[in-house]
Amino acid sequence: MSSQVAPTPVAPVSLPAPRRRRFRRAGWDLLGLVVLVVMVFPIYWMVATAFKPGHDILSYKPIWFPTHPTLSNFKDAINQAFFWNAVKNSLIVVVVVVALSLVLAFLASLALAKFRFYGRKSFITLILGVQMVPLTALIIPLYILMSRAGDVKGVDHVLGVDKLSGVIVMYLTFVLPFTVWTLRGFLLGVPQELEEAAMVDGTTRFGAFVRILLPLLGPGLVATSIFAFIQAWNEFIIAYVFLHTPEKQTLMVWLASFTTLRGTDWGPLMAGATLCPCPSSCSSCSSSGGSRSG
Amino acid sequence: MAAIEFVHVSKAYGNDKLAVRDLNLTIEEGEFVVLVGPSGCGKTTALRMVAGLEEITSGEIRIGERVVNDLAPRDRDVAMVFQNYALYPHKNVYENLVFGLRMRKVAKEEQRRRVEEIARILGLSEMLERRPAQLSGGQRQRVAMGRAIVREPKAFLMDEPLSNLDAKLRVQMRAEIARIQQTLKVTTLYVTHDQVEAMTMGSRVAVMRDGVLQQVDAPEHIYDAPTNLFVASFLGSPAMNLLEAEIVRDGDGVACRLGEVSFAAPSSLARRAGGRVAVGIRPEHVRPAFGSSDGIRLRGLVRLVEPLGSEVLAHVEVPADPLGRVDLVDAAGQPADGFSAAGQGSATMLARFDRELAIRAEQPVELAVEAHRVLFFDLETGAAVPVADVPMAATVAS
Repeated sequence: MSSQVAPTPVAPVSLPAPRRRRFRRAGWDLLGLVVLVVMVFPIYWMVATAFKPGHDILSYKPIWFPTHPTLSNFKDAINQAFFWNAVKNSLIVVVVVVALSLVLAFLASLALAKFRFYGRKSFITLILGVQMVPLTALIIPLYILMSRAGDVKGVDHVLGVDKLSGVIVMYLTFVLPFTVWTLRGFLLGVPQELEEAAMVDGTTRFGAFVRILLPLLGPGLVATSIFAFIQAWNEFIIAYVFLHTPEKQTLMVWLASFTTLRGTDWGPLMAGATLCPCPSSCSSCSSSGGSRSG
Repeated sequence: MAAIEFVHVSKAYGNDKLAVRDLNLTIEEGEFVVLVGPSGCGKTTALRMVAGLEEITSGEIRIGERVVNDLAPRDRDVAMVFQNYALYPHKNVYENLVFGLRMRKVAKEEQRRRVEEIARILGLSEMLERRPAQLSGGQRQRVAMGRAIVREPKAFLMDEPLSNLDAKLRVQMRAEIARIQQTLKVTTLYVTHDQVEAMTMGSRVAVMRDGVLQQVDAPEHIYDAPTNLFVASFLGSPAMNLLEAEIVRDGDGVACRLGEVSFAAPSSLARRAGGRVAVGIRPEHVRPAFGSSDGIRLRGLVRLVEPLGSEVLAHVEVPADPLGRVDLVDAAGQPADGFSAAGQGSATMLARFDRELAIRAEQPVELAVEAHRVLFFDLETGAAVPVADVPMAATVAS
C-alpha cells in the first residue's frame, strides 16, 4: 500500500532583500562610473596632450600619461598671433553679454512674473519655443540680417558683420530667453506678501523690488550669470561666421587657427584648449557658494 | 490713531464678480473690529483695500478725515500683519523690525530705542540677530506683530494672523493680541474665518457673506440675536440647530408646530399663521428633560456621542423637519455640515450634555428646549423674525 504525500512547498531560492539592494546599487554605481569615465576621458586626454612633447603626441602607440611633461605647448599657444587680442575680445563680449542679460532679464522677468498684461502667456510660451530652435538653422538668416543692418545709417555703429557689438547682440538672442525664463521662476518663488509688506512699511513698488526682491533673487542672478558667461565664452559658430578679421576674433575662433590646410598643430591646440575654459570654470567655482540654493 | 470708514465700497474683479458689494462700515478710533466670514466672502479684499493693496472699484475709504482711495500704501500710515507673517527672509529680526522706521526716515537713536522696547515687550530681545528661518511659528508671529507696532501707525490691519499657529499657541496669541490692542488702543481691523477668534477678540464683530456685510454688533449680541440664518449658523460652535416648523392659530394666540410638538409662539408671528418658518435652537439651550422640566419637549434617539471633556455633544434624531433651504446658510449655496438632514420628518439636533449623564448612542432621550431661547427666521429670505413677546409655556401634543 502506498500513500501519496503532498510535496512540501519549497520557497524559491532568492537573495535576502538587503543583499539584493546592495547588488542593485553596486550595478548603478558601476554604470555611473562608466559614464563618468566616458565624459572625463576627453578632458583628461586634452590636458595630458597639452603637456606632452611633439613625438609623444604623434606616436602611433598611445601614451596614456605624459612621461616627459613640457610647458612648451603652452608657450607656443600664448605666442601664437592674436592670442591676447582674442582674450581681450572674449572678455569684452562676455562681460557685456552677462551684464546686459542680467539687467534686461531681471526687468523682463519682473514684468512676466508680477504684472498681468495682454499676451503675457503667449510671450512666455514664445520664450520657451525660441529656445528649441537650433542655432545653426538661424546662422544664415542672421548673417543676412546683420550684414544688411550694417548698411543702415544710425545702427551701423553697433550692428553689422565683423563687429564685436554685432556678436554681442547675437549672443543676447539666445542667452536672454533662458535667463528670463529662469529668473521668472525664481521671482515666482518669492511670496507676493513680502513685496506688499514692504509697500505698507513705506517703500514704493520699485523700492520693494530693489530692497526686498533683488536680494532674494541672489541665487537666481548668480545661476543665470554663470549660464550667460559659459554660453558667451564657449560659443564658436556665430563668432566664426560673423568675425572675419583676426584682430576681432574671440578665443574659440582663435583656437581654430591651429588647424590649417597643412594639418593641425596638436600640442599648442590642446594647450590653448586647456587654457580657454579656465575663466568660465573659475567663475562657476567662485559663484557656487552663492548659487547653492538655486 | 484714526477711525476707518468704508462708504459704499465695492470691488469687482474683471467685469463680472463683485468681491465686495456696497460695504458700509465704520471702525471707530481705538476700536477692535473683527471681520469674519467663510472663505471667499470678501473680508480679506476689504482689508487689502484699506491697506492700498487692492484698488477700490467704487465708494470711498477714509482713514481719519482723509479719503485714501488714491493714496499709495506707504502714505496711508497703517501697519499690516499678514497670514504668513511676510517677514523678510534675508533680514534678521532687528532689521525686520526697523525696516518701516528706516523707510520713514526716523532718527537712528529713536529707531534703536523703539525696536529695543518692542523687542522687550514681545520677548524678542534675545533673538534680534536671528533670521526668520531660525524662529518658531510663535516667534515669527510676534516679530510680525512687533513690525506693525513699532511704527506706531494710525491703524492695525490683521489678515488671519493666527491661522498658521497650532491650537495651543493660537489661544495664547489670541489673548496676547487682544491685550496689546487694549494697551495701545490702536484702531484694529482683524480678519478671520475662525468664529472663536471673532467672538473672543473684537469689541464688535462684522459678519460677511459673498461680499455683503450681514451684521455688525457686539459678539454676544450677534450670538443671541443673529440677523439672519447665515449669521445664526456661522457663529457658534457647535452650530445652531435649524429646523422647519409650522405656525398655526391656537385660540386667540399663535402656536408653533415643530414635528409632533406644539408650543406657544410670539404674537408677532400671528400674520404668518398657516405658513412655515425656520426655527433656531443653540445646542447649549437643549438639555435632557427631567420630570417637571419646563420647556419644549422633544423625544429622540441618540445617534452619536462626541466627548468634549466635561461635556458630551450628542447627535439626537428628532421627529421634526430639517431646514430645506440650505442655500440660506451656506456661503456658496451648498448643503452645509453640522445639521445634516436625517430624512424628511426627522432631523438631527445637536445637544450639549453633562458627561455625568452617561448618554450612549442608540439611547432614547427626551429633550427640553428653553422656549424663550428659540429663534425664528423667514424661510424665504432667511431674515430673523422680530420677537415682540416671548413664549414661556410649552405644551406637548400627543
